[in-house]
Amino acid sequence: MTASIIPNLILKTPGRVVVSIADLALTANPQETLVTYALGSCIGVTIFDPVARVGGMLHFMLPQSTLSPDKARKSPCMFADAGVPLLFTKAYELGARKERLVVCAAGGAEILADEGHFKIGSRNRTMLRKLFWKNNVLIASEDTGGTHSRTLTLRLSDGQVTVKNKDEERTLWPA
Amino acid sequence: MASMSDLLSMDSLPAMPAAMARIIPLLLDPGCEWEALEKVVRRDEAMTAAVLRMANSVQYGSPGKHFDLRQAMARVGREALRRCILEQQVSGVMAGENAAFGLLRGDLWRGALAGAIAGEELARVCSPENAPLAFMCGLLRDIGKLALNVKYGAQYPAMIAAHSREGSSFIEAEQEALGFDHAQVGAALARQWRLPERIAMAIEMHHEPPPPGPGHDVLFDIVHAADTISRWAGLCVGAEGMDYRLAEHVRQALWLDRRSVEREIALVWEKLHEAEEWTGGTVKKGAAA
Repeated sequence: MTASIIPNLILKTPGRVVVSIADLALTANPQETLVTYALGSCIGVTIFDPVARVGGMLHFMLPQSTLSPDKARKSPCMFADAGVPLLFTKAYELGARKERLVVCAAGGAEILADEGHFKIGSRNRTMLRKLFWKNNVLIASEDTGGTHSRTLTLRLSDGQVTVKNKDEERTLWPA
Repeated sequence: MASMSDLLSMDSLPAMPAAMARIIPLLLDPGCEWEALEKVVRRDEAMTAAVLRMANSVQYGSPGKHFDLRQAMARVGREALRRCILEQQVSGVMAGENAAFGLLRGDLWRGALAGAIAGEELARVCSPENAPLAFMCGLLRDIGKLALNVKYGAQYPAMIAAHSREGSSFIEAEQEALGFDHAQVGAALARQWRLPERIAMAIEMHHEPPPPGPGHDVLFDIVHAADTISRWAGLCVGAEGMDYRLAEHVRQALWLDRRSVEREIALVWEKLHEAEEWTGGTVKKGAAA
């Protein structure tokens, strides 16, 4: 086996694509599954077009890019208001259509006894809803809030979205 | 109920790297001679490589231009050298998967580094003289999780969950289940490793820093806040999720508000990316899983 074949094999091996913090991934490969781990106050958003068979996932940390326009330029996926539009735009480039997209979300947890001082998770949830409301996007299903961590998965073969927290796993879509 | 001494007497407990034991007193001594540091660094191949990588990185100006060890140390300066050496040493101990806390390979290490960065940044503003120690304590604050992983592995989350009550913190559930918590285990391990007592205390108090009065130390407040900021940044979120509190007196003393905390979260994430250049790690969650 030549050295040049090895990276190709690795890159083309169908399977799991891990979406990092402040990052996104899109795919039209039905053999792939997008997954993001340990969502705390961060939120994971999935979109899936069942006709074009295009799916995407975003893992953002903070609500608003006005916090640091410079960081938003370098890492738009850090922020809801920069990352979500980017996720949708990239999906359209792969053939997805807005009216067909199934949108799910998970995360947005809070620390205990926040007492309204920080509300990082809740502000992330509010910003996401505001963005979707302004752009006529409906959330098909979500699992947000609380204090626990979550793992979010989107399976491209059928668009199934699952969320796992502690030892429980449930399907967000299809309901 | 479990016994802390049984836990700490296990043969398979993680050991502090010998080079780290030699270099920590030097790093904490502002008057330490350059030659003494160089001598310890030179004896450890991985540490030497990390310092050379850092000096030859884009951040230090001349990628592709090569320096020998002494030039490299002078180029990066004492503060960056301290961070580089600690990151390199601790990453080896903490890089593995930690099933007890539901952390994938690399997650415990990323959480440690996030806490170190957040601690140093907070200290720079409110207590600059504590910045080097805040970095070190942030980095080591969760070493107790290493011992608990060796002892209980994947059984640990269910063991603790059985003692968890609505509104109670993970620390409270651990104390109820075991009679002690991972912060206390970490402090005991730090003492076993013969780390300075103030570091052991900061590890012990990193979830429950004492309020102003006897036993109060601003370093403990800083490490506690740094832990919470790392959690908000998603960098040490394990099976226990966000089941921790931020002490009210720390919020007030460090002037933490939404804006300052969000800035800190973004900064921590950005600095982690910079750090991975010379630690050879990755900020990408689960990338190694």
